Amino acid sequence: MTIIQLTLTVCLILIGIYMYTRLRSTLLDVILILLATGTGIFFVLFPDFTTQLAHWMGVGRGVDLLLYLGFLFLFFLIIKLYARIRKMEHNFTEVVRNKSIKDAENLEKKN
Amino acid sequence: MDSSSVYIIIPSFNEAEVIRQTVEEVLGAGFKIILVDDCSTDLTKEKLKDLPVIYIRHKINLGQGAALQTGIQMARLNGAEIFVSFDADGQHDVNDIAAMCEKLEKENLDIVLGSRFLPASTTNISSSRKLFLKLASLINFTFTGILLTDAHNGLRAFNRHAAEKINLMENRMAHATEFLVQIKKHRLMFAEHPVHIRYTDYSRKKGQSLLNGIRIFFELILNKFFNK
Repeated sequence: MTIIQLTLTVCLILIGIYMYTRLRSTLLDVILILLATGTGIFFVLFPDFTTQLAHWMGVGRGVDLLLYLGFLFLFFLIIKLYARIRKMEHNFTEVVRNKSIKDAENLEKKN
Repeated sequence: MDSSSVYIIIPSFNEAEVIRQTVEEVLGAGFKIILVDDCSTDLTKEKLKDLPVIYIRHKINLGQGAALQTGIQMARLNGAEIFVSFDADGQHDVNDIAAMCEKLEKENLDIVLGSRFLPASTTNISSSRKLFLKLASLINFTFTGILLTDAHNGLRAFNRHAAEKINLMENRMAHATEFLVQIKKHRLMFAEHPVHIRYTDYSRKKGQSLLNGIRIFFELILNKFFNK
């Protein structure tokens, strides 16, 4: 096992444990965490397999395949996050607006 | 036209220097004012003390579009029949309000949009700003299918039907284009009306820069994709 493999494996296990402590609500969560961590470690320990997979999909190297998939995933994530931010901003605007309208005052009468 | 059911909505952010003059001019013409203070950090409220103004303050700065929408909702609650949006920085001419309201009623329109580029308009605009606004109205056209002579003119008059339909979701500057999007969407009857814009050193300083224009452009693109 090379140093990078050791580092990545340890990190993946730590992330898995962290996720487990945060989300251990349902059996499905646990299975998903195990599956994700397991797949990650598998690819770290047997990097040749990713290359085979990449070749099968028509990509030169396993790392390149990961790069493409990772890019797609990140792009998807950004869009989801942006949509959520917009929704939050909208809700937040409603709250501020309703409060402001409730507190409206006539400046002449006040004095 | 019954001016007691006309509400002038003035969104304002840090305009203490000129706000009293703007407000007094509008009051002098006999209209009611809803001033939406978008969390100014200056003396806006103190400057308006003792004036008969409905004053609303956002506790957090939300942007001009959001302030306008707040004003529209407040005017609806107050039973307004005609709604007028008016800039706080003193660039608009109060005399245009009555003419626009009259046009709105006479021609059975839902919304009348001010334009500084119609033959009867007067303005001391610089040629670079004119080019910028013409470009902006072309961009608006590509986004909305409505081609106007002017873009980003803050002076508009609209009836209750339009006020109930329009719901501005763009909190910041893209709301000016959003107005057009919603005019199209709700099939509102609209027309342009020549207005007089005076550029002062103050309003020039506060006005839209090219950088802002680029920002608005991106807001529009995002609005297109995430509009719900």
